[in-house]
Amino acid sequence: MSEDRFFERLRNDAAPLRYEPEPFAMTRLSARIRERIETPPTIAGLLAAWFRPLGAALAAVALAATIGITVANNRAEEVAVGNAYSSTNVDVSVAGDSYRVAD
Amino acid sequence: MHDGAQESIAIERVKAGDAQAYDALVTHYLPRVVAIARSVVRNTDDAEDLAQEAFVKAYQSIGRFRSGEPFGPWIYRIVTNLALDVVKHRTRFRHEAVTESEPTARRDRADLPARTNEIARRIDSALETLPEMQRVVARLHLVEQFEHDEIAAMTALTEGTVRSHLSLARKKLKEKLADLYGDVDE
Repeated sequence: MSEDRFFERLRNDAAPLRYEPEPFAMTRLSARIRERIETPPTIAGLLAAWFRPLGAALAAVALAATIGITVANNRAEEVAVGNAYSSTNVDVSVAGDSYRVAD
Repeated sequence: MHDGAQESIAIERVKAGDAQAYDALVTHYLPRVVAIARSVVRNTDDAEDLAQEAFVKAYQSIGRFRSGEPFGPWIYRIVTNLALDVVKHRTRFRHEAVTESEPTARRDRADLPARTNEIARRIDSALETLPEMQRVVARLHLVEQFEHDEIAAMTALTEGTVRSHLSLARKKLKEKLADLYGDVDE
């Protein structure tokens, strides 16, 4: 018996597990679907549908602004630290003589 | 509605706002859609709810459906995605809920029809031991008798991946059911 024959046998033996639609259940389900698609949308639903994309867009803008500000702040800090280093003079005393070491 | 032309006409009518034309599509595809959902979530009540959601979702986005294409693969894909989401959510929840008194899988199997015979029950149990995607693919192929290309279309896997899942499942099922199919020659 080949591998396919094995699956063939399994398929036959698994037949009782197969979904058998009950006419009543199908009718009930179809009716529910019909009811849901034919029900006019409520005002709350319409508002939600309008505001959902607007909310998502605003959230995206806020996120982009936050990231932008954070990046700008980090850059400003790096520049300030760089300037601080470059403007710091160090006084060094060697054998009684003072020297100022600049950048 | 076995005729593709009739189906296309119904879809065009639905697109034009005729909700009643959707009935024919629902009637034709509903049993298979429930069967697919049941293969994934293993519970008839949940499968029926998912089928309902899938048809409502398809109706709401029918404008994006390409005219001339068959409706079946599209609705099958929608319900498969919804069902896989439910399974993922369940898995996450099961990991969090440490005090679950009875495994969900056992409750799910309780709705098997009474006529289900012993061999079928053994197959069912063996299928349940497979990893998630192998189980889903094997159930769709062995129980609901979908072909490789149909399963690939509904699960967004390639046909090669579907075959690979089936091949792995086949090996494990053979081991699990060795006492039933011991006469199988390689």
